[in-house]
Amino acid sequence: MRYSSNNDLAGTKQAMAATYKTLVVLTAATATLTRGKVYDVLVGTNGTPADNPMEFDISRQTAAGTATAITPVSLEPGDRAAGTVGAANATAEGTITATSSVFYIGLNQRASYRWVAAPGSELVFPNTNLAGLALRARSATYTGTATGQMYHEE
Amino acid sequence: MLRPGGFTFAFDYDGNVHEGETFMCGHCGGHKHVKPFERPEDIGGLCKCCMKPICPRCVELGDCDPLEKKLDRWEKFGIG
Repeated sequence: MRYSSNNDLAGTKQAMAATYKTLVVLTAATATLTRGKVYDVLVGTNGTPADNPMEFDISRQTAAGTATAITPVSLEPGDRAAGTVGAANATAEGTITATSSVFYIGLNQRASYRWVAAPGSELVFPNTNLAGLALRARSATYTGTATGQMYHEE
Repeated sequence: MLRPGGFTFAFDYDGNVHEGETFMCGHCGGHKHVKPFERPEDIGGLCKCCMKPICPRCVELGDCDPLEKKLDRWEKFGIG
């Protein structure tokens, strides 16, 4: 079953800074521990276009920060609710495992970017409580907001 | 690569689309960009135990710890 999560679903997008801001995070839910696989990621910005450096990263998270809860949207209306918990637009970062980045890209702020996994090469997170993948962004000069979208299957 | 692990699309402000490919590290599950026909030793290395391409960070660790075993371990004992 496939689900869509992005940081436009709920919460207030946070201004970029030199330190990472979590856009979207997907974690295994306590009640329905499920292994999830992220197979499609889209990132971009929605501020005034300018030439600024942007960095996007997906790392493993082991404890939740402070973020607005989102419900992953089922891509097929008949499917059950996701066994994964989503959160977006963190105001306090969760606990990120050091050197656990599974995806990293530097972009011009004017550009947007999409990554699609080949079957069998998805970004997998374990069915461990609160463990998951955090899509984060930062910029040394851009102080507008960024957009992030992750599709996952479980 | 012969069988890339992912496909990338970067959309420029002027409408150009730049396509690329990534490979998945067999140990950490991370994705790195690769050039067409790039050799395993140039993108990190090829693990001779699990016969999967691995990233430079996992090459430095020097042991074979496949992602699937890691996931099983994390699910049993937690990430730590």
